[in-house]
Amino acid sequence: MVEYSVVGKPLPRVDGLAKLTGQAKYTTDLTLPNMVYGKLLRSPLPHAKIVSIDTSQAEKLPGVEAVITGKDTFGIRYAFVDTPNFPGEERPLAEDKVRFVGEGVAAVAAADPDIAEDALDLIEVEYDPLPAVFDPEEAMKDGAPQVHGEIARTTSCAWEDWGVARKGHSYTPVNNVAGRVLLSYGDIEKGFSEAEYIREDRFWSPATAHMAMEPHTIVASYDPFSGKLDVWLNHMAYEIKRYWLSKTLGIPNEKIRVHQTYVGGAFGGKAVIFDYEVVAGFLSRKIGRPVKIELTREEVFSSCRNSIRFDTTVKTGVKKDGTIVAQHVKVIVDAGAYKGSSSVAMYLSHAFSDACFDRRNVRHEGIAVYTNKNFGFAKRGHGAPQNRFAVDSQVDMICEDLGLDPVEFILKNLRKKGDVLPNGDKLLSYGLPKCVELVAGAIGWKEKRGKQRDRNRGVGIGVNGMFSGSGYWPFACAAIVRLNHNGTVTLMEGDVEFGQGPDTTYSQIAAEELGLPLEDVILVAGDSELCPLNYSNFLSGGMFVGGGAVYNAAHDLRVKILKVASEILKAKPDDLEMRNRSVFVKSKPEKPVTFGEILRYNIQKHLGDPLIGLGYKKAVPEIEFYPSLSRGTGRFTDAYGLAAATAEVEVDKETGRVKVLKICIADDCGYEINPAGIHGQMVSQAVMGMGDALLEEVIDEGGRVLNPNLVDYEIPRAFDIPEIVILNGSDPDPNGPFGGKEAGECARAAVIPAIANAIYDAVGVRIHRVPITPEKVLNALRSKEKEGKK
Amino acid sequence: MEIAKKPLKVTVNGRPFELWIKPKTTLLQLLRNDLGLTGAKQSCMDNSCGACTVIVDQMAVKACSILALQVNGKDVTTVEGLASRDGKLHPLQQAFLEHHAFQCGFCTPGKLMSSKAMLDENPHPTEEDVRRDMEGNLCRCTGYNQYIEAIMEVAQKKEGPKW
Repeated sequence: MVEYSVVGKPLPRVDGLAKLTGQAKYTTDLTLPNMVYGKLLRSPLPHAKIVSIDTSQAEKLPGVEAVITGKDTFGIRYAFVDTPNFPGEERPLAEDKVRFVGEGVAAVAAADPDIAEDALDLIEVEYDPLPAVFDPEEAMKDGAPQVHGEIARTTSCAWEDWGVARKGHSYTPVNNVAGRVLLSYGDIEKGFSEAEYIREDRFWSPATAHMAMEPHTIVASYDPFSGKLDVWLNHMAYEIKRYWLSKTLGIPNEKIRVHQTYVGGAFGGKAVIFDYEVVAGFLSRKIGRPVKIELTREEVFSSCRNSIRFDTTVKTGVKKDGTIVAQHVKVIVDAGAYKGSSSVAMYLSHAFSDACFDRRNVRHEGIAVYTNKNFGFAKRGHGAPQNRFAVDSQVDMICEDLGLDPVEFILKNLRKKGDVLPNGDKLLSYGLPKCVELVAGAIGWKEKRGKQRDRNRGVGIGVNGMFSGSGYWPFACAAIVRLNHNGTVTLMEGDVEFGQGPDTTYSQIAAEELGLPLEDVILVAGDSELCPLNYSNFLSGGMFVGGGAVYNAAHDLRVKILKVASEILKAKPDDLEMRNRSVFVKSKPEKPVTFGEILRYNIQKHLGDPLIGLGYKKAVPEIEFYPSLSRGTGRFTDAYGLAAATAEVEVDKETGRVKVLKICIADDCGYEINPAGIHGQMVSQAVMGMGDALLEEVIDEGGRVLNPNLVDYEIPRAFDIPEIVILNGSDPDPNGPFGGKEAGECARAAVIPAIANAIYDAVGVRIHRVPITPEKVLNALRSKEKEGKK
Repeated sequence: MEIAKKPLKVTVNGRPFELWIKPKTTLLQLLRNDLGLTGAKQSCMDNSCGACTVIVDQMAVKACSILALQVNGKDVTTVEGLASRDGKLHPLQQAFLEHHAFQCGFCTPGKLMSSKAMLDENPHPTEEDVRRDMEGNLCRCTGYNQYIEAIMEVAQKKEGPKW
């Protein structure tokens, strides 16, 4: 085992001083000279025709600079999924009708936020209400209200722009179907015919909020003389925001600059382009002044994305010894008013999980349905939490029926290192078996499972897998490492710091490769004009792809420095060692040549060459554009992150209240570049998973969100946190930087079924719908009691 | 309708200010918009998250939920006033740094100020005291443990991080 001096250490975060002293600047903290404030008027109705909008009174209000409606932004379309068959249907402001409560109808820019708010009150919108539909199964029936008419193709779609040689076309959804996926391998009928035991169960996961602490905010500043748009915004990868701002506003990509800011949390919820971002750019260009739009909490809950509502039916066939021989998963997604990422989530709910169990014969089909509700997007695991809750709950039920132990069942069915998945992905690293054993041991599985019902206590387990970046085009990153005169280096890479830690871990990678201490790496990150291509920060590609590019750039510089040093020291590069801003011959450490001297020598002798390292990495090299979502063919990712979780709970039978006593997570992130950072990611996911299991649901009635604030939408607080044990189940990946791969998303999905299964172990009730509230537990306990009496 | 501005005298991070403000200005708006101190954050706007916590005299206060005029004549400390002017971190800041007690950092200023007020009042709390006291500070990134450990280290001067 190589001994490293910078990676593998729990070094303090490089963003620490800024964040701990109040100096870190987030978009909400920005004020530009001459800036005005924008606000959106949002629909109070779930489904209605817009008869007329009168903005004349608002325009007359002193301090109001501009008022716009869907007439101004007519025809602008965008979407996360913008393909030839399914062109983008989202729009910055409603045109002919509104489709959900919270959809933008008009927008104002005014001298201060109060005036902007007053101006919204002066806009008169006449609506003609339409019948609305809120349930996906109702929406699929003949005669249901249609959320969309023809979805007209107004421009080229994203795939065409990115080089896919297929023309887009308009289409009209039938029975509100927003998208379908079908992935299968093996022979599902044959698989079930060979099964000795089959069961089918249905589970539901609601929309939950990302609830990042910084509310969604943008500052957009258009300069009419240069035609350039500068933006500071909440994002997770600037390329995707820049592409969509360019496309929707008709401003060339290179004329848009996304500036570095810190982002106050994301969890998937800030990756896509939003209505208010297009509106801010539009308003700024219209009036030639900077525009800031900061959403209220209610807007974030009801108009930005929440997680995707899944209704999952799982049918599994097993042999008596627990070997899985077939699994058929049917998903209905309640997409909401626009399709969002529903198709992608349905596909990912299969693709992430396929790294867990070898199920032999699989059919995974999904249908996403338009309804008159807010729509969804990725949230930390994108489809995996919903799928693992269903599948791992059913594993627990099968084991109960067949008298098997869930841990043994899981270990029996896990894939193996070196396996090639049906789509071609190869498991070059696979720490999941070790993770399962670690969490089983840490919770005291053997001593506790099924043995604590007298105390209403139980234990449960769940597992999950996750990509380290995907074949989504152009999922690739580049990085530049520049040698400075004093021997420090400047690292330029595009990833944005939203809490997950790339500023620190990427600096560690560069420092390690160049034999420097961490503080010798000067970082320029997250700025689209200064940094090279960056597309890694979602689908958990940060470390594997972004960090990989940084490693490659630092390595490139290392090779270049050694080459020059070998000229100066008259020695072979292999005989040289690099440490403390200098290079020396291994046998003569007392005679080093410094990086500064090397740089000066190289500039003098080699035409001014300043020694710059370049590196790049593509998530899945073999994939040109996309894997096929509809067929599940083509490579998905180059490395899977994996995790297992166990939980111990105590249930109060009088109140139905579940108290989580302990959560154990073992994670395979390949290599812990910064163990303290990894620990934080895991504790975070333990707590978020606990919130998912017990507390969190965006509740709607008649299309209106009933709990759009941090009082009524409960998340775990400091006092609710159980004992949490984090274990390292890493298996270094040969293609990851120092072996590193995904860490930030995988574990959350394993925690949810671990808690649900622990509740069953404690009191013998199975809850099929998260969150598992006291009311649901109590009702289940009462039904169980009644059945017992019969 | 324009409402007459009112005078306000307040000391913030040791500096005295005298200014005229709209009566409806909240303390958070005063700090962020009038004084340019953006360390205290605006997040929930309904007194539930604690990201805007500052110290008024000895007490932790959610700055979004009181009016600026209510701090007339008082002494306000924000996160910008926590480290010494020569760049030396407060022990809490130092412990937060060593324990990775923050991720996105948005709620961190509020947590620092809440925990400072708590430790000023009770220098040796139990972990349960700390967790109860920090109930008002929401965090979505950290899952709380690393910053609770950081506070406990300051409270007990105990050993450094575990890893």
